[in-house]
This record gives sequence, C-alpha cells and structure tokens, in this order.
Amino acid sequence: MKLLHAEILIAKQLRDSVFKNKAVFIITIFIGILLLYAAFSGWENYTSQNETSEKYQHESREDWLKNPDKNPHRMAHYGNFAFRKSTSLSVFEFGMEPFFGNAIFLEAHKQNTANFSEAGFSNSMLRFGEISIAMVLQVLLPLLIFFLGFNSIAYERENGTLKILLTQGINWKQLLLGKILGVASVIMLLFIPTIVVLVLVWLFLQDFAISADETVKMVLFILFHFIYLIFFCTIAVLISAISKTSKNALVSLIGIWLLFTIILPRTTQAIGAYIYEAPSKIQFNSNIEKDILKQGDSHNPNDLHYKAIKDSLLRAYKVDSVQKLPFNYSGYIMTEGEKISSRIYNEHLETLLKIYKKQNSFSKTVSFFNPYIAMKNLSMGLSNTDYDSYVDFQKQAEDYRYKMAQKMNALQIKYISNTKSDKPKIIGKEHWADVEEFHYEPKGITTVLENEIISIISIILWMMMLFILVKIASKKLKAI
Amino acid sequence: MLALLFKNFIRSKGTKIGLLFLLCIGFISLLIGKQFQDKQQNNIQEAVVYQKEHIARNAAFHKDEIGLLLYYIKFSLVNKTLPINSLAIGQRDVNPSIQSVTIRGLEAQKYDAELNNPNNLLSGNIDFSFVLIYLFPLLIIALSYNVISEEKESGTWKIVATQSQSTFLYILKLFYVRILSLIVLLTVLLLIAVFVLKIPLDQSLFTFYVLSVLYLLFWFSVCFFIVSLQKHSNFNAVILLTIWLFLIIILPAAINTYIVNKYKVPEALEVTLKQRNAYHEKWDMDKNETMEKFYKHYPQFRKYKLDDKKEFEWLWYYAMQQMGDDESAVQSRELESKLEQRNHASQTIAMFIPTLHTQIQLNETAKSDLGNQLLFLKETKLFHEKMRLYFYPKIFEEAPVDKENWEKFKVKTFTDSTETGFLKAFLPVLLFNLVLIGFGWRNFRTLI
Repeated sequence: MKLLHAEILIAKQLRDSVFKNKAVFIITIFIGILLLYAAFSGWENYTSQNETSEKYQHESREDWLKNPDKNPHRMAHYGNFAFRKSTSLSVFEFGMEPFFGNAIFLEAHKQNTANFSEAGFSNSMLRFGEISIAMVLQVLLPLLIFFLGFNSIAYERENGTLKILLTQGINWKQLLLGKILGVASVIMLLFIPTIVVLVLVWLFLQDFAISADETVKMVLFILFHFIYLIFFCTIAVLISAISKTSKNALVSLIGIWLLFTIILPRTTQAIGAYIYEAPSKIQFNSNIEKDILKQGDSHNPNDLHYKAIKDSLLRAYKVDSVQKLPFNYSGYIMTEGEKISSRIYNEHLETLLKIYKKQNSFSKTVSFFNPYIAMKNLSMGLSNTDYDSYVDFQKQAEDYRYKMAQKMNALQIKYISNTKSDKPKIIGKEHWADVEEFHYEPKGITTVLENEIISIISIILWMMMLFILVKIASKKLKAI
Repeated sequence: MLALLFKNFIRSKGTKIGLLFLLCIGFISLLIGKQFQDKQQNNIQEAVVYQKEHIARNAAFHKDEIGLLLYYIKFSLVNKTLPINSLAIGQRDVNPSIQSVTIRGLEAQKYDAELNNPNNLLSGNIDFSFVLIYLFPLLIIALSYNVISEEKESGTWKIVATQSQSTFLYILKLFYVRILSLIVLLTVLLLIAVFVLKIPLDQSLFTFYVLSVLYLLFWFSVCFFIVSLQKHSNFNAVILLTIWLFLIIILPAAINTYIVNKYKVPEALEVTLKQRNAYHEKWDMDKNETMEKFYKHYPQFRKYKLDDKKEFEWLWYYAMQQMGDDESAVQSRELESKLEQRNHASQTIAMFIPTLHTQIQLNETAKSDLGNQLLFLKETKLFHEKMRLYFYPKIFEEAPVDKENWEKFKVKTFTDSTETGFLKAFLPVLLFNLVLIGFGWRNFRTLI
C-alpha cells in the first residue's frame, strides 16, 4: 500500500476536482440514465424477440404434426421454419441482430432467404445506430473518459502546478499512474453499478439457471470491457501529458475518438465492400440454376444425367420399366436431385461467404490500429450477434432442411407404391414426428474465441503498447 | 476586411486539412454511389436477360402443360432507381429493388430478402448523405467552436473590439467566411455528382441541394448560438460535440427503439405461417369447398368446373394457392398498416430533430425510404394480380403453350412518383435555424 501512496493521493485529488465540476456531474448522471434505458430496452428486445420466435417455432411445429396422412412429398413442401433465437448476452450487445433475418422457410428443392429482419421494416433511423449497454460502454464512456482526462496533466502544465508537483519529489511515473487511476476511479463509479445491474438482469432472464458456457462468455464480456476502458484512461492521460495546452489535448482526443468510433469502422468496411464486390441475388440464383442445369435437370424427362440413372437402375434390377422397380422411382430421383441441387447451392454459398469474409477482413485487420473495432468484434462474438453466428444459423437451418427433405424422400421410396394403383399414395401421420424440431445451437465459447483470435491478440498488443508508452513517457516527458 | 478575414481563415493549416479531407471523402462517397448505381443497373440488365432465357427454357420443357409451366416461371418487377439515389442509398441496400414472382401465392414470395453481408449493413454506407449528415457538422464545429473565444484567450480580442466599428458585424463576417467556404464545398461536390452519377437537373436535385444547404446552416446556427454564450474554447468544443453526439447518435437511436417497441410487427411471422397452412390444408379438404371460395373471389371463373374423374387439376391447384393469399389477407393488411404507422410516426418525430429529418427527407427525395419500399410492395401485389388474371383463364382452358407469345413478358418497372413537398422538407430545419440565430443574436446584443 505504501508503495502506491503518491499515486492514490493524485488519483483522489483528480476525482474530487472532477466532482466539483457541475457539467461533468450532469454528463455522468445522464450516462447513468442512458445505461438504465439501454438495459431496459435490451431486456424488452430480447424477451419480445425470443417470445415471438418461440411462439411461432412451437406453433409451426404443432401445425406440422397436425397434418393428416398424406404423401411425404407434400409434407416436404409443407416444410418447416427456422426461427432465430437470441442468446442472453444479446440483451447488452445487439450487434448485427437488427440486420439478421428472423425466419427461414425450409422446404424441399429450395433454399429460401432469411426474411423479416428488423432493418427491412425500419425507416432509415436504425442506421444511426442503437443504444445498447455495449454501445454506451464502447462509444460513450471513452468520450466521457476523454472529457474527464484531457486536462489531467495539460492543465497543470498551463497553470504551472506541474513544476511544483515534480519538484516535490513526485516522479513522472507516479504522476501518470496516479492520473490514470484517478480517471479510472471516476469511470468505475459508472462501470461497477452497470456490471451489477448487468449480472442481475442476466441472472433473472435465465431464472438463475446459467450454463458454464454462458458464464464464461459473461465473465469475458465484463473483463474485456474493463480492460478496454482502462485503455482509454491511459490514452487520455498520455495525450494530456504530451500536449502543450489543454485545448490541444482536447482537440487531439476528440479527433482520436471520432477516428476510432465513427470514421474508421465505417470506412474500412466500406473499402472492403467496394473492393470485393458481392454478386446480387438475381446473379447468385441464376448462376446456381445454370450449374444445376449443367448437372442435369430432374424435371426434364430427356435429361442425360437422369436417363443414365434410370438405365442403370433398370439394368441392376433386370426390369424394363421404372414402374416395375421394387421401390418408388420418383422418390429415388428426387433424392438424387436434392443431393445435386443442395451440393451446388452450398458451393455457391461458400463462394459468396468467402467474398463476404474478404469484405470483413479489412475491418478485422484494422482492429490492430483501433481498439474499438477489436472490442466491438469480440463483444459481438461473445453475445453471438456477429457475422459468424448468422452464417452459423443459416447453415444449421440448411442442414435441417436437407435432412428433412431427404427424410421425406426416403419415406416416399419406402412406402409409396410405384405403380399407378387406385389407392391414394399416402402414408400415416405418425411419420411426421420422425423429423425432429429445429433447434438452433449458438456457437460455444471455444469457437467464439477461435473466430475472434485477431481481436484478442490486438487487445493484448494494445495492452503491451500502452504499457510501454507509459514507461517511455515517464522517462522522456518534460515539465514545460 | 472580408478578403483579409477569408485569407486568414483559409491560411490556417487545420482549415485546409479539414476542407481537403471533406472533399476527398465526399468524392469517395460519390465513387461508392457510382458503384451502387452500376450494380443496380447490372442487376436490372441481368434480370431482363435472365427472365427471357428462363421463360424460353421452361416454355420449351413444359410445352404441353401451361399450368405446370406457370408453376415455374417468374416475372420480375423493378423498383426504379433514380440516379440521385446514389447520393442517399437509404434502405435500398437492405431491401431488394427487384421482385421476381410466380403467379402462385404472393404472400410466400413478397418478403424475400436481399442477399447481404450484415457487416456492411451494420457499419452503413459511406454515401453522400453520410458525409453531409455526419461529417460536415464536425468540420463546421471544428471551424467555429473557437470563434471569439480563441481571440479572447490569446488576447487579440481587445484589439479587434477597438478597431472594428461593430464587433457584432465582425462576428457575422467570421461566420460568413466559414459558411461560404462550406457551401462552396458542398456545391462543388454536388456538381461533381451531377457529372459522375448523371443526375438530371430536376426538382429532386433542387430539393436535395436546398435541404443540404439548410442543414449546413443549421449547424452554423448551433455554433453561432453556442459561441454567443461567450464561454471558454474548451467548453464550446465539449458542448458542441455533445450536441452532435445527441443529434446524430443518441436521439435517433432512442427514437428508433421507441418506434420499434411501440409498433411491433408479429404479423410478419403470423402471415407466413397462416398462408402456409391456408394453402396446404386444402390438399386434404373437400375440393368443392375450396372451389366455392375461389368462385366467390373471382365470380368470372365460375364457368370453369372441376372434372370429378380427375385426381388433380391445375384449376384446383391454383385455387388452393389463391387461398393461401386470401386467408392471410387480414394479417397482411395489418402488417402493411403497422409499417405505414411506423413510417408516419418516424417522419413526424423527425420534424423535431433536424439530423433525422434531413436524413429521412433526403432518402424520400432519393426514393430510398421505407415509404418507397411500401409502395413497391403494393405495386408488386398489383403486378402479381395482373399476371394472375391474365394466366388463370389460359390455365383453366388448358391453352397450348406455344400459342402464347412468351417474348412479350418483359421485366416491368415501377416508378415511384411521390413528390416531396417543399414546405414539409424545408420548414422544420428553417424554423430551427431562425430560432437559434434569434437567440444567438440576443445573447450577443446583451453580452457584448
């Protein structure tokens, strides 16, 4: 304790002077209110999104099971839905959620788009951003830190008190650490209550039944935000220390803030999107259609690919027409068709996702220069509201769709008569329950950390760099 | 005097860098707009080619069964993209500008989303409207926050005060120089835009320009007012940035949350589930019941009757498909009216927030707002109905496929002809400007 005595004194002094400033007091109170509002609206969003999603997932499942005896292919077209559910951390970090489609209709032969995103139903307002706890922590608190810290040392220099401090046996290292501690202690007055509220909300939402995975994510979410805020405290004090006047410090800090939180995120993503142009939907779909036609069109009776299959089947079973095969021929052909079309679709999707990945690579790389992007990506990853989660959701839905369609084809092959008999070609409704309900499993913590490894490395590098800068600064700084 | 002030202003390194930065990023925004425009045009061309090939191929495959053919073929409707749209991309990146539909149930097709990288949507476009709404104000603040206060702090104010006839006039001149430079910058950028994006010199561009100028003046008025309080430079900077933050991020976000929670749209999912059941259950129901409902909707088709001996007929099939739309019509209308309410509410609230108002009005002028999307959906419905009514009798009469001239089904275009009222667009910002200037004026008169 004795070791840090001077630092603590400096920190206390800074904190006291901050609270004498009425404007800062008002801003702090205001941000507190904003945090409460963000928690409240996040809660509301989360519960309504999940209630709706659960309600309709359940309803559509009931509808599916309620279907009477019918031809399995009719059921494959009746289809199922995949509704997206949010994870508990998305209460605090909305991430890309408003831009995700919330429902995918899953049917045979066709990969449908994820529809009904919040953004599609919104006026341009949404594009200004949203207020979430994460946004307040990542965007507004750094600015508040800069407002608190810009004159921490520069003002002492302007006043001449800096010389007095240094002649009284305080060294630069103590001064810098003390000031950083001081700014941090003010911010903690906002951060700690926020975390308490956050954890409580989080526990209540899950009725205190928390999983290990979610807990680790939550702990990391808090830990990394803490580190992130300390970064900004350090930056503020360092800039203040090297600036001649407090005005210069303020202008530089505001510039840094604008660059980090407003200008860089948008420009880097825009550059990525500009360089790697993604195909439009019509182009994407027509390319798939062309490739499928190349492989063979199961709807075209004269198609070579399907004719070859037919001939080999006839030879293998030593019959002269498909009606004499011991299983349902059209079911067999549809299985083949589904296999081909979904393979081609997945290949094209893979190419498209690669383009998107390249577009995103710019902003991912820039996280080395910008702690905001690193933090944003990491917190979106932890709350499963990032790009990878969305792709993951679509893939899980597509897997489910494929299995459902092939299950129905298998039932057709097995049970549906191959000849033109008078009996209706239907099977019992008990088979519908064979297809399990769609269940979306969010990515676990290990996958998230793997995906966000760049962000983590960048945060560690930032930590090291700021540490070194403080060291250098404490040796090189001058009082005048 | 004015010339000297201007020289002094433009000579500062910060000013030069600021203006140059805006010019560059403004130009980049035009390039991005150009790319967007090219992409939209390519899409339309592709849609035209695709539709032609697609129809021809299917018509060749299914030449014996027009009912089956129309199960497959899609007809496209394009939401016309004006050149000015590239200046304010708005919602056009989220929502598709081309709808391709078969004559089957529309509710199952209408809401199909565009292919998108959600990361691009989240960070937003750098279109011209972004540069105007986010970045111009920052430069305005940077150039004006220390008018007077800087001179007071450096001690030159007293010299100015004694040497000029009216200090107020001097302040006005300082602002005049700044306003003029930024308006020139804006005009230059828009002139480049006119050439690069081939924007016609019409009323839309005029609205766009006037609104942009008014928006710049709004921020100058804000600065004028804050400067009139005659506080320290640091105080001005903090306060102006906080105002910017409020108007650009916090208020729009708060209002958005309010509107989303006030007008929730569970109808969207409701309508999807409903149309699926309404159509599919008909397969297991009495055919005559379905047909009766169909005849009730279209009495003109009562003359087409089902043949009891046939297990499947296209007449029955399309009647079933029709039921998907008919029985989910209530939910569909509710969804539509909810979205209209959303649009209306956000426009009304936006009148009190100049940033939001400007963005929404620019989007409206560029036909990239929610209103345009809703009109496009309505038009899609009409288009779909027209195709249906054209083909229904042909299918029911089992008209031969080759008798139809398939070439004539070209991609159709929808032009949104809504006109933005000048009063509605300009008045809110103008009033804000006048009030702020008025208060600023009063402050100066009492304080100097």
